Amino acid sequence: MKDYDAIVVGSGAAGGIVACVLAEAGKHVLLLERGRELSFADVGRDHLRNQRLAIYGHNAGPELNGNPRVFVDPEGRSRIVRPHELDYHNNAACVGGGTRVYGAQAWRFHPDDFRMASKYGIPNGSSLADWPITYETLEPYYERAEWELGAAGDGRTINHQVPRRRDYPLPPVPPSPQTSALKRGASRLGWTTTPVPLLINTEPYQGRAACIACKYCVGFACPTDAKNGSQNTVIPRALATGNCELQTNAIVANIDVDSQGKVSGVTYFVDGIAEQQRARSKVVVVSAGAIESARLLLNSGLGNEHDQVGRNLQGHLYPRAYGLATTKVFDGVGPGVTIATTQFNHDNAGIIGGGMLADDFIKPPIDFWYDSLPPDLSRWGIRNKAFMRDNYTRVLHVRGPVQDIPNPDGRVTVDVAVRDKWGIPVARLSGTTHPATVEAVTFMRARGEEWLRASGCEKIWSAQPGLILSGRQHQAGTCRMGKDPKTSVTDEWGRVHNHDNLFVVDGSLHVTNGGFNPVLTIMALAFRSSEHIARQL
Amino acid sequence: MLKTETLRAVVDCLIPTDEFPGAYEAGVCDYLLRLFASDLRDEAEFFTTGLDSIELEARARFGAPFASLTPEQQSITLEAIEQGDVLTSWQISPQRFFEMLVCTTAEGFYSDPQQGGNRGAISWTMTGFEDQVDA
Repeated sequence: MKDYDAIVVGSGAAGGIVACVLAEAGKHVLLLERGRELSFADVGRDHLRNQRLAIYGHNAGPELNGNPRVFVDPEGRSRIVRPHELDYHNNAACVGGGTRVYGAQAWRFHPDDFRMASKYGIPNGSSLADWPITYETLEPYYERAEWELGAAGDGRTINHQVPRRRDYPLPPVPPSPQTSALKRGASRLGWTTTPVPLLINTEPYQGRAACIACKYCVGFACPTDAKNGSQNTVIPRALATGNCELQTNAIVANIDVDSQGKVSGVTYFVDGIAEQQRARSKVVVVSAGAIESARLLLNSGLGNEHDQVGRNLQGHLYPRAYGLATTKVFDGVGPGVTIATTQFNHDNAGIIGGGMLADDFIKPPIDFWYDSLPPDLSRWGIRNKAFMRDNYTRVLHVRGPVQDIPNPDGRVTVDVAVRDKWGIPVARLSGTTHPATVEAVTFMRARGEEWLRASGCEKIWSAQPGLILSGRQHQAGTCRMGKDPKTSVTDEWGRVHNHDNLFVVDGSLHVTNGGFNPVLTIMALAFRSSEHIARQL
Repeated sequence: MLKTETLRAVVDCLIPTDEFPGAYEAGVCDYLLRLFASDLRDEAEFFTTGLDSIELEARARFGAPFASLTPEQQSITLEAIEQGDVLTSWQISPQRFFEMLVCTTAEGFYSDPQQGGNRGAISWTMTGFEDQVDA
C-alpha cells in the first residue's frame, strides 16, 4: 500500500486548490477524481446534452448508467434518478469538476452573508446560523483566488459593498447592447450596477490565451482555454511539482480508520479494475461536492455523532424575468453575462437575505425555446415560430441566485438499498429549502420585472420555482463549519470535529450560501484550509 | 416504425413553412427517427401510438387523413389533442403525447444540426443566433 501525506478526494473547485497548495508546500499528495480528464472535443457542443440543458444526457459526467441517486419528492415518494435528471442535483464529475464547464462567475460573498442569523434572527424551522469566520478573515483568500486563477472584473464598482484590498488582475468583459439598456434602466431606478466578475481571461493571462467571445460558455468547455478552472490552473501547478499524483476514474468507497479510530487513508475503486484499492495517508481531505462529500462521510460512519452530516443542503433558486426590448439587444458576443446589481442582496423590508440579479449567458435557441418564451404564447404554430424569428435577439434576460435559508430537513442521507456500479450505497436527497427562501425569490422576481420595465421593455414576463429542494451545481452546506459540534460538522478550517486528520474542504462547509454564485468562496476557503493543513503536516 | 406521411404533416403544422423552411424541410423527421431509435427508444411505441391516434382523430373529425386536411383543420385537430379534448378513444394520454411531440419537434428544429435536424442550421439564421452559418 502506498503512503502519502494527504489524499484529496475530488478535483473540483476546492480539491484542485488543496492539491496544489499541499504539493507546492512539498507534501506528497494523491488526488483522486471519480471522472476522467475531458478534452474540449470530449465536452463538445451538443445543445441537448450539456451541463446547462441536459435533456437526454450531459457532457461532463458522471456516466448516465451505474451512478444512480434516490430522490424523495415533497410528498414523500421516492424514485431512482439518473445524473442528467434535474432531481439528481448533479455537478460535473471530471477533472476540474464543475469548473470544467461552469460559467465562472467570480463573486465574493457580502460581509452580511457570514452573519445571517445575527442580522435577521432565526426563522421557525430553519437552521440559519452565522459562519465561524467573517468576510474580513476570508478577504485575502478571495484575492488569492482572483489572482492565482485569474478573474476579470472592476473592483471599483463592487467595492462599495465588498471591501477589497486589490483590484482584479483582468479588466471586465466588454459591454453588449443589452448592457446599455439595462444600465439605463437601473440608473432610472437609482440602482447601482457592476460588470459581472468572471474567472475568464479577458486578456492573455498566465500563459493562456484570451476569451474569443464565443457563444458556448456555461455548460461547455472553452475553445481557447481562457475559462479558468481547476483543470487548467491549480491542477497543472500541483502536477508540475512532482509531488502530486492524479488518479482519474477513481471513486472512494470508504475513509479508513486504524484500530484507535484515527483516519488512516481511503479505500477506492478504479474503473476497469475489479479489486478495491487502498492508500494510506496522514491526512484525508474530502472535496467531492456537498452531496458526494456527505455521502462519503456517512458511508464511512465518520463525523456524524450529532446527526449533522448531510443536513442543510443548499444551492440557489433563481427567479427569471424576461422583457421584450424595442430594439435588438443580442449581438452574439459571448459569454453574454455583462451587468449585475447587488442592490438587493440585503436590507429588503420583510425579506431574509435577497440576491444578485444579472443578465444571462448566451442561450442556444433550443434552450431559449424551453426556458424563455412568454407563457401566453402558444408553444407551436406560426405564432411560436414568428416569436422565435422576431424576438430571439430582442429579449432581455435577468436572473440571479437568491440566498437559501437553510432547512435541516433538506438533506443528503444514504440509501443502502440502492448501490452504484461499484456496490457503494448512493445518496438519497429529500426535503426542501425553507419557505423564507421562496419569499425572497418572489421578491427578487419582482425586482427583475421592475428592472426590465425601467429598461424600456414593452412586454414583460417571469417565472420562479416554488418550495423545492435546492442544490444542483451550487450545492453547499451539508458539512457546515461551526464552533459547536452539536450543530456543525467541522471547525473553521474544515477539520471534522473529534478528528485530527480528517478534513472536508468544498461547498459543504458553507454555513449559508450567499446570494451569489458560490465558487469563489469555495476557492477562498480551499486556499485558507489548505494553508492550515500544510502547516499541520 | 414512424408513419412518415402523417408525421411530416404534423411537424409542419407545429412549425409551418413561411419565408423560412418548415419543420419537415429543416430535417425534423430525420431528427425524430434518430431520437426514437436511440435516447427515446423506450418511448418509440408510445410515440407511434400517438401518431396513429392523431390519424384516427383527424378521420373522426374531418373524414380524411391528417395529411390531406387544410392547415386550419390540422390546427383544430392538434389543439384538441393538446387540450385532451379528443373525440376518439386514446390508449395513451393525449396531453402527455402532445407534450413529447411539441418538445421533440422544437428540439429537431432548434438544436444543433449534428443531431439530424436543423438542416443547414437554418433556425440559427432565422433566430439570429448565428449571423452566417457554414453549412
